[in-house]
Amino acid sequence: MKFAIALFSAPHAPSSRRALLFAQAALAGGHEIVRLFFYQDGVHSASSSVVTPQDEQDLPRQWADFVSEHQLDGVVCIAAALRRGVLDDEEAQRYQRSAVNLTAPWALSGLGQLHDAVQAADRLICFGGP
Amino acid sequence: MSTLHVLSHSPFTDSRLGSCLRLLGSEDALLLCGDAVHAVQPRSLPLEALEERGDSLRLFLLDEDLQARGLECPAWATSVDYPAFVELSIRYDKVNTWL
Amino acid sequence: MSKSLLIISRQAPWSGPAAREALDIVLAGGAFDLPIGLLFMDDGVFQLMPGQNAKALQQKDLTANLQALSLFGIDALYACADSLADRGIFPTQVAGEDLEVLTAEELGALVNRYDQVITL
Repeated sequence: MKFAIALFSAPHAPSSRRALLFAQAALAGGHEIVRLFFYQDGVHSASSSVVTPQDEQDLPRQWADFVSEHQLDGVVCIAAALRRGVLDDEEAQRYQRSAVNLTAPWALSGLGQLHDAVQAADRLICFGGP
Repeated sequence: MSTLHVLSHSPFTDSRLGSCLRLLGSEDALLLCGDAVHAVQPRSLPLEALEERGDSLRLFLLDEDLQARGLECPAWATSVDYPAFVELSIRYDKVNTWL
Repeated sequence: MSKSLLIISRQAPWSGPAAREALDIVLAGGAFDLPIGLLFMDDGVFQLMPGQNAKALQQKDLTANLQALSLFGIDALYACADSLADRGIFPTQVAGEDLEVLTAEELGALVNRYDQVITL
């Protein structure tokens, strides 16, 4: 079964962790994840500038490790990311901002990638809210 | 076509459960996770609303969220872990998460 | 054949970017000629109200984007009758050329017709 997984919440929201555990269980069950698409506040879950207290779960790090380890297609919506200050090197230069907080394995792209994932997958699963 | 509806907001501060029950079809199921599991708080109004649906309602609850809150899974509902959550999302034709 | 996608928009236009970002998903789908439906439910029906003045809050007018939907080939527009009634809104107040007002039973049937759903 092919899944497209969309995340709409920041890393401190329980739903970001829930999405990660669902994605891990899907792969462990022998299923495929055609794309992860982070939209709305979900863009913060890909941010490398989040600093988590040492005794708490570092969700952005765990997400990035998960995407790297399984060589997944991790797409962050560019419009939602710009609005919320999540920038890769290219966008930081373009808008002359001092901080870059989006790096590999993540890629900025447009909403077309969400639709493309819906078409390619058997199931779209969204996570967000609390 | 059947739909698995997924809720994570507390039913005490939010209208999603009511709206979801409005369009929940006979083939559909409801999965509560996060604060939405507070709906099975004993003697509460949301629990009453769920029980009113009777046998026609297929209710699933994410086990970790029940455990975290010290809540019991009602005998007529089913608690699920993540592998079972994945299986549910396959068993139903689509998943509608109330973001 | 392309999979169809129903967007259920539940947010008022004045509660942050959520309503706009829901609409952006719809417009992007339309630009790719995909079969997209848009249902206004709960506070989402406030997006349909006449007499909104975005300038009062120094915002852009979302209703202009709604009017652009047909240009993007999106003509499957629906509103929840109960959500309107709960808010004291008459269907005639929000009636557009393409907008269909649906009862609770019809809503269930609508969701059934689509391959995938995003509710936000």
